[in-house]
Amino acid sequence: MKKLDLKVKDYPELAISWETTLINKTGTWRTFYPKYFPKTPPCNYYCPANENIQKYIALSLKGEFEEAYFTILEKNPFPSITGRVCYHPCEIGCNRGNFDESIAIHAIERFLGDYGINFVESKRKIEKLTFDKKVAIIGSGPAGLSCAYYLLLKGVGVTIFEKESYPGGILFYGIPAYRLPKEIVKREVEKLTKRGAEFIFNKELGKDFSLDDLTKKYDAVFLAIGAQIEQELGVLNEDANGVLMGLDFLKAINLKRKIKYFGKNVLVIGGGNTAIDCARVALRKGAKVKILYRRTKEEMPAIREEVEEALKEGIEILFLTAPSKIIKDKKERVKGLECVKMKLSEEVDESGRRKPIPIKNSNFVIKCDTIIKAIGEKVDLAILPKEIIGKRTVLADEYGKTNIDKIFAGGDCVTGPKTVVEAIAYGRRAAYFILNYLKNFEIPKKESVSLVNYENLNTYYFEKQKRIEEDRLPVNKRKRNFKEIVATLTDQDVKYEAGRCFSCGVCNNCDNCYVFCPDLAVLKKNGEYEILYDYCKGCGVCAHECPRNVISMFFEEEK
Amino acid sequence: MKESLIFGKKKVVTGNHAVSYGVLLSRAEVIAAYPITPQTQIVELLSEFCASGLLKAKFIKVESEHSAMAACVGAAAAGCRTFTATSAHGLALMHEMLHWAVGGRLPIVLANVNRSMGPGWSVWTDQNDSLSQRDVGFVQFYCESNQEVLDTTIQAFKIAETCLIPVMLVLDAFVLSHTSEPVDIPYQEDVDQFLPPYKPKYFLDVNDPRAFGGLTSPDHYYEIRYKIEEAHRKALKVAEEVDNEFYQIFGRKYGLVEAYQCEDARLVLVTSGTITGTARQVIDEERSKGKRVGLLKIRLFRPSPIHLIKEILTKVEKVAVIDRNISFGHSGIFSQEIKSILYNEIRRPMIFDFVIGLGGRDVVPDDIREIIDFTYKADYPQEMVYFRGVRL
Repeated sequence: MKKLDLKVKDYPELAISWETTLINKTGTWRTFYPKYFPKTPPCNYYCPANENIQKYIALSLKGEFEEAYFTILEKNPFPSITGRVCYHPCEIGCNRGNFDESIAIHAIERFLGDYGINFVESKRKIEKLTFDKKVAIIGSGPAGLSCAYYLLLKGVGVTIFEKESYPGGILFYGIPAYRLPKEIVKREVEKLTKRGAEFIFNKELGKDFSLDDLTKKYDAVFLAIGAQIEQELGVLNEDANGVLMGLDFLKAINLKRKIKYFGKNVLVIGGGNTAIDCARVALRKGAKVKILYRRTKEEMPAIREEVEEALKEGIEILFLTAPSKIIKDKKERVKGLECVKMKLSEEVDESGRRKPIPIKNSNFVIKCDTIIKAIGEKVDLAILPKEIIGKRTVLADEYGKTNIDKIFAGGDCVTGPKTVVEAIAYGRRAAYFILNYLKNFEIPKKESVSLVNYENLNTYYFEKQKRIEEDRLPVNKRKRNFKEIVATLTDQDVKYEAGRCFSCGVCNNCDNCYVFCPDLAVLKKNGEYEILYDYCKGCGVCAHECPRNVISMFFEEEK
Repeated sequence: MKESLIFGKKKVVTGNHAVSYGVLLSRAEVIAAYPITPQTQIVELLSEFCASGLLKAKFIKVESEHSAMAACVGAAAAGCRTFTATSAHGLALMHEMLHWAVGGRLPIVLANVNRSMGPGWSVWTDQNDSLSQRDVGFVQFYCESNQEVLDTTIQAFKIAETCLIPVMLVLDAFVLSHTSEPVDIPYQEDVDQFLPPYKPKYFLDVNDPRAFGGLTSPDHYYEIRYKIEEAHRKALKVAEEVDNEFYQIFGRKYGLVEAYQCEDARLVLVTSGTITGTARQVIDEERSKGKRVGLLKIRLFRPSPIHLIKEILTKVEKVAVIDRNISFGHSGIFSQEIKSILYNEIRRPMIFDFVIGLGGRDVVPDDIREIIDFTYKADYPQEMVYFRGVRL
C-alpha cells in the first residue's frame, strides 16, 4: 500500500513504529562498553585459606548447606574447627562492616562445618584408592592434618607420626575444650582415618626415629611439628617451683594429667591466645587469675572476643606491666612476682608495634603461687638437620619445599607461631606441591585479585540489618567446667545472616542491570546475563546500578 | 486494614478517601503521585493500602507532578492499570505529560481536586485548573457527591480502557475533598465483575520492540489525531453504557448530564460540581412557589454530551449558566460551551452567564435565588457575563 493511500482505519491508535526497532543498531553510538567483570570479595581475599566465602554464603542463603560445605572443603577440610577458633580476618575485611556490622562469617562457617560432620560425612562416598605413593607426615596439628587430607583425596597414602597419644596437636591439647570440644577434633580427624590415613602415636622425631629413617621408607616427608617451646622470660628465679610453661600447662589439663605446683593465685604472663587460654583454664580450675601484659589492650595479639570473654569471666589484666624478678620462698616455691610498669615508646619494633620500655622505679610485687609463661612459642630446631633450618624456623618456600629432596615443611615450624587457619592453608599448599612432586599434579594457579572496596558498592539497595549474635553460655554457668561457650547457629539464623551478605563483586542475579537498562540491551539467558552490544549505547546505568560492582565500564578501544 | 471492615459497608468518608477506595476496588497496579493540598489524602490512604498489602500495586514516589504523570505514562505503556491524583498547580505542571497520555492512548485515570490557581495563593475550590486542560484530550467528569466520586472512579477505568483514552475525574476542594458523607463501599467481587483486569492492545513488549510516539510526518499525523477524536465520540457512547451497566450491578447511575425538573421548565440553570447540590434545593423551593425552573447538571464535560444538552435546552426560553471559572477577556467557560452547542439551532434560549464563587468563595442558596430572579426578570442578557458577588 502506498503511504498516502492509508486511511484512518489503517492506522494504529497511536504513533507506533510499523516494524520492529531492532534494525536500529544503537550500539554503534557507544564510546564505553559495560562488561560483567566479577571481582574479589574482601572476605575471600583476607581469608588465609582463600576460602570462597561469598560462594558458601550465597549457597547457605538458598539452604544448599551441603554444597556450601563442600565449597569450604575445597580450601579447608576442617570448618568445624576454624568456625570455632579462627580469628576471622574475613570479618575485618567484610565491606558490610562499613555499612552496619560485618557478616558473622565464622558462625556460618561453623554451622556448615557441623552440618557437614553431622549430616554429610556419613553419606559421603569414599573412593577406594590404592596408594602407590606414601608420605610421612610428622605432627598431627592443623598443618599435618590438612596436608594429609588433600594427599588422601588424590590417592596418596599418609602415615602421620604424633608424639602424643591423640591426634590433633595444638587442636587437641592446646586449645581448651570450652572453645573447641575434643569431640569436634575427633570427628574432623575421622575424615582422614576413613580415607585410610595411618596414625602412629607416641613416637617423637629425634627420639624414636630420624628424618633419614623416613626418607628411606617413604616417597616424601612433610614436616609439621609446629612451634611448641615456650620462650624464656629472662628474669631471675625462672626455675622456681610453680613456674609453668603455657603450652605444657594446657596440654596437662587437656590430657587430664596432674600438675605439680598449681596453686590458688595464678599470674599469666603474655598477651596472645595461649596466655588468654591459660588464664581462663586456670580460672576454671579454681584459681584467682591475673594476666600481665607489657603493652596495652590495642596491641594484644589474642583474638579480641576471647579477651572480652576473659574479662567478663573475672580475669584481671594488668596492662603495661612486665615481670622483672620471680620471688621464691625457702622451699623454692614461687611466692610472688616483682613487676615493673611500662610505657609505649615512639620506637616501633619488628612486629610494627610501639616498643614498651620500663618506667624507672615503678617496681612493685604481686603475691602469687603460680606463674604461667605464655609470651610466645618457638620451634624446636635442635632435632632438625642444619640444611633446612634458619635462625628461628625451618626454611621452606610457600609450597613447603625445603633444601633437602623429599622433605617438605609447613605450618608454625616454618612460619613461627601463627594461627590454625594459616597452618591449614600451608598444609594444603604443601599437599599440592607434594602431589606435583610425586604425581605431576598441576598446582592450581593463583587467581588474579581485583578487590571490591566499600566505595565500589552501590549501597542504596541495602537496608541496615542487625548482625546475628550466637548464644553464649552465661558466665555464672562456666565455673569449674569446660562446657563449650558459644552455640552453633540454627539454619534459620544462618539464612538470615547469609541474607545480609552484599555479595561483593559476585553477581547474585538481582536483576538491577536487566531492569534498569534503558535500551533493553541486557538479556537473561539460563540464569546469566548477556549484553547485546548491537544495542547497548554504553550509558553505564547497569554498572552504576549494580549494587555489588560486578559490571565495569571500559573504553571501546580497549575491547 | 481488614477487608471485612471495608468492602460492602456504608462508611463515612471524605471525597478524597472516596477516590482512594475507588482506586482500591479498581485494583490499580501502578500509582505515581506527588502530594499537594487538597489532594494529599487520596494518595496517603492509597500508600497505606499498598503498604498493608491490601492493594497489590507499585507505589512510585516521585519528585514532581510532571514525573508523576511521566511514570504513569511509562507504567500504562507497559500495560498496567495506572492512577494518579493532583490539583491546581500540580495539574498545570503535568500539562506536557497529559498530552503524552492522550497521544499515547494510555487509559490512565487522574483524580483532580479543583483548586484555584495562584497567585494570589489559594487552596480553595474553583474550576480553572481542570478547565485549563480542556483541550489536551482527557475525558473529564465533574462530581457532585462523595458517592458519585467513588462510583465515577470505578467507571473511569472502564471507560478509559474501553476507549484507550485517559480520564480525569474532578471534585471540588474541601466542599467534597475534605467533607465526610456516608458512602456505600461496594463488594470487591462486584467491582471485579464490572471491571475485569486490563488487557492492553498495545504495550511495551521486549519480544517485539517498537518505537512509541516517534516522529510522525504531516502525511500521517492528522489521521492519528483523528483517531483520538473517534475515541472521544466512542467514549460518549461507552460512558452511557458503562453508567447503565454500573446501575445493573450497584443500583446507582448518574447520567452524562442530569436534567432535574426540566420537563416544563421555562428557565434552566446549568451547573457542575457541588453547586449542583445547592441549586437542586433552591429549584425545589422555587417549584413549590410555582416557578417553572429546572436544572441541568453537566457531569461529563469532555467528550461533550452535545445531543443531550441540545435536547434539553432547545425546549426552554432561558438558560442561566453558573460558572465557577473564568476565561479572562471572554466569559465563563461552561457558558461558551452551551452557546456553541446551541448556536446553529433554530429554537434556542437566551443564555445568561454568571461567574461566581472564584477562589472557593461560598455559593449559598441566596446566590442561586438571585440568579433565578434576575434571569426571570430580564428579557435578554445585556452583558456577555455577569460577575455575581464581586464587590465592584
